[in-house]
Amino acid sequence: MHRETSSNAAQSGAIVVVESLVKRFGAFTALNDVNLSVGKGEKIVLCGPSGSGKSTLIRCINHIEKHDGGRIIVDGTELSNRLADINSVRCETGMVFQSFNLFPHLTVAENCMLAPMKVRGISQADARDRALGLLRKVRIQDQADKYPAQLSGGQQQRVAIARALCMQPKIMLFDEPTSALDPEMVKEVLDTMVELARDGMTMVCVTHEMGFAREVADRVVFMDRGSIVEEADPETFFRAPRTERAKGFLNQIIH
Amino acid sequence: MNTLDFSIVTQSWPYLWSGLLFSLALTAAAFVIGMVLGTCLALVQHFEIPVFAQIIRGYVAVIRSIPLILVLFWFFFLVPIVLGHLSGNGRPIPIGATYTAFITFGLFEAAYYSEIIRVGLRAVNKGQFEACQALALSTYDTYRHIVLPQVLRVASPIILSQTIILFQDTSLVYVLSLTDLLGAASKLAQLNGRLVEMYLVVAVAYLAISSAASQCVAVLRKRYALATSR
Repeated sequence: MHRETSSNAAQSGAIVVVESLVKRFGAFTALNDVNLSVGKGEKIVLCGPSGSGKSTLIRCINHIEKHDGGRIIVDGTELSNRLADINSVRCETGMVFQSFNLFPHLTVAENCMLAPMKVRGISQADARDRALGLLRKVRIQDQADKYPAQLSGGQQQRVAIARALCMQPKIMLFDEPTSALDPEMVKEVLDTMVELARDGMTMVCVTHEMGFAREVADRVVFMDRGSIVEEADPETFFRAPRTERAKGFLNQIIH
Repeated sequence: MNTLDFSIVTQSWPYLWSGLLFSLALTAAAFVIGMVLGTCLALVQHFEIPVFAQIIRGYVAVIRSIPLILVLFWFFFLVPIVLGHLSGNGRPIPIGATYTAFITFGLFEAAYYSEIIRVGLRAVNKGQFEACQALALSTYDTYRHIVLPQVLRVASPIILSQTIILFQDTSLVYVLSLTDLLGAASKLAQLNGRLVEMYLVVAVAYLAISSAASQCVAVLRKRYALATSR
C-alpha cells in the first residue's frame, strides 16, 4: 500500500496545512501548538481519548470552530476572518458529523441538492442528477424521496456522506461518523468510507474504528490533551506504539 | 320570546354573512401582517441586533401585557393625533375604523407570533447550523431554507391556536362600530328583539369555525411529527 510520511506529504503539495494551531474554550486550552500536514489523497485517522482535541482539530479545519492562534491553510487558502476565505475553504471540505445533522424537513434528495444549487449555483436538474448519482454510490438511491426520519441510522449517515460529496469537495472530514450508530449499522458506513478512500479522496477521520484505520489509513495521528503525541503508519502504531499514553489508550479500546 | 323562532336568522342571512366575511378578512389580514412582521421581530431579537432588539423586546412586552381592547382604543384615538403632529398642521388625521382594526390587529398579533417564533428559533438543533456552515450556505439561505421552515413546522400548531384566539378576538371591533359577525348579530338582535336566536346562531358559527381549525391543528401535529423528528 502506498504511504507517505508527514514530511514528504508537505513536499508533494499538502492540501491541508495546520501550523502551531491554538484553540481555547475560555480558560481551557483545547488545542495547544498542533502541527499537521495532509497530502493530496492522503487518509489520516485521528484518534485519542475523549477531550483530547481531535474533533476540535477537524472542526477548525473548516472553521466551524474559530482558531485562536496559528495558521490553517486549505488548498492554498489561509483561513482568516474573511467570509470569502471561509466559504472557499468550506466548499472544498465536506464534513460528516457524528449525529448526521440531516435537514429533517427536506427529502434525502433535497438534502443533497440544496447546497450545490445555492452555493455552487448549479441548476435544479443538474443538482438532482448529481444527488442521485452520489446516492447510488452510497447505495441508497431508492430512498431519494423519503425523509431522513424514515431511514435507519446507517442509511442517514450514508445520506450525509452523499450530501457532503455533492459539493464535490477535495477533502472529506469525518467527525466520529459511526459513534452514534447501532453496531449492526457501523459496517455499511465504514464500507462506504473505504470505497471513498479507494477512489482517492483526501480524508481526515476522527474514529475509534481501528479496523478501518488499518485498512485505509496512511497515517494514524494520536492526540492527547490538545497535542499530537504520536504519528505513525497504522501497522507501526498498533504493533509498537512509542509513547506510554498511546499504549494506555490502545489497551483501553482493544480488549 | 317564549318560543324560539329561527326564521329571523334565515331572513337576515346576507347581513350575518357579510359580518362573517369581515371577521374572516380581518383574521386573515392580521394573520399575514402578524406573521410577516412577527418573523422579522423574532429574527431581530434572535440576531441580537443592537438597539432594535431592545426596542422590540419592550414593544412585545408592552403589547402582551395590555388588553387588546385598550390597544384598539389607543390606535383609534392616538394615531390620528400623532399623524396630525407629524404632518405639521396639528389637526388630527382620522384613519378610519376599518384601517384602525386591520393595523391594530396586525401589530398586536405580530407581538404574539414573534414570541412563538423566537422560542422556536432557539429550539433549532445546533447541528443544523453546523451542517449549513459545513456546506458553505450563507446566513440568508440557512435561515430561509433550513431554520425558518423547521421553526414554522414545529410551531405551526401553536401558531394556529393563536390564530383561533385571534379569530374570536376580532369580535372586539364592535368598540370601533365595525360590523363583524357578532356585531351584525347583535345589531339584528336589538332591532327585532330575537336576542336568544341570534346569539345562539352566532355561538354555533364561532364554535364550528374554531373547532374545525382545531382539527387542523391536530392534523398538522401528526403530519409534521414525521418531518420534524430527527
